[in-house]
Amino acid sequence: MVHALERIRQLLEPDGGLVDIHPSGEPPPIEVRIGPQATVVGWMKETDDFIEYVQASAALSQAIERGWFDVERKGTFEFSTHADSVADLREHLAKEWKDAILDEAVAARAEQLLSAVERDKGLIVREQIRIARLRPGDSYGPT
Amino acid sequence: MPIRLDPEANEPAAFVDFAGSLTGKRVLEIGCGDGRLTWLYAENAAYVVGIDPDAEDIARAIANCPPHLRERVEFRVTAIQEFEPSEKFDLALLSWSL
Repeated sequence: MVHALERIRQLLEPDGGLVDIHPSGEPPPIEVRIGPQATVVGWMKETDDFIEYVQASAALSQAIERGWFDVERKGTFEFSTHADSVADLREHLAKEWKDAILDEAVAARAEQLLSAVERDKGLIVREQIRIARLRPGDSYGPT
Repeated sequence: MPIRLDPEANEPAAFVDFAGSLTGKRVLEIGCGDGRLTWLYAENAAYVVGIDPDAEDIARAIANCPPHLRERVEFRVTAIQEFEPSEKFDLALLSWSL
């Protein structure tokens, strides 16, 4: 990962910038929404236990330590995924979030709550996303 | 619509806030996928190159590219380590891809 940042540094103008967006690595809560009320029924898991996001943060820190980039700003935002049913969420995960694991117990709890009402209901997965703006540092990577 | 991603539009708001003005800028988007974020800013940029190692995603991005952006948005199937552009960029966007 840090080599990717080194390559990006080489491809940027000296007065350019880098915006990095990646998940925080905290397991996202899964909520069942009934009307305006949301209940957390569990947390999403990943096959690698979100280690890739921790590694992404570590790579950024390493690139900063090496002087390739300086941090201008850091922040976080929430990225939510809304599904009408557990089946829809499963289908989405299979296509777009292949290393996600939806625990059977969590799915069953969600199904139970969703089946109690006819309409105005759904599932929400809330991910915390890190965003940072960096500028090229004084130290250039090898070209 | 069984799945809705970021209906609050938090991601584009954060990106616009952190990227600043893109007017006249050459932008490299690494991990552009199917262009989900690209369309949000490409309108203002001078030139955009979106790269992704996933050929299916790039095919979708090319197919989905609005006609008026086709002259200044280019997509390539490649990883950043193999990418050899002819000029440098003003802004790089690492989109969920580090």
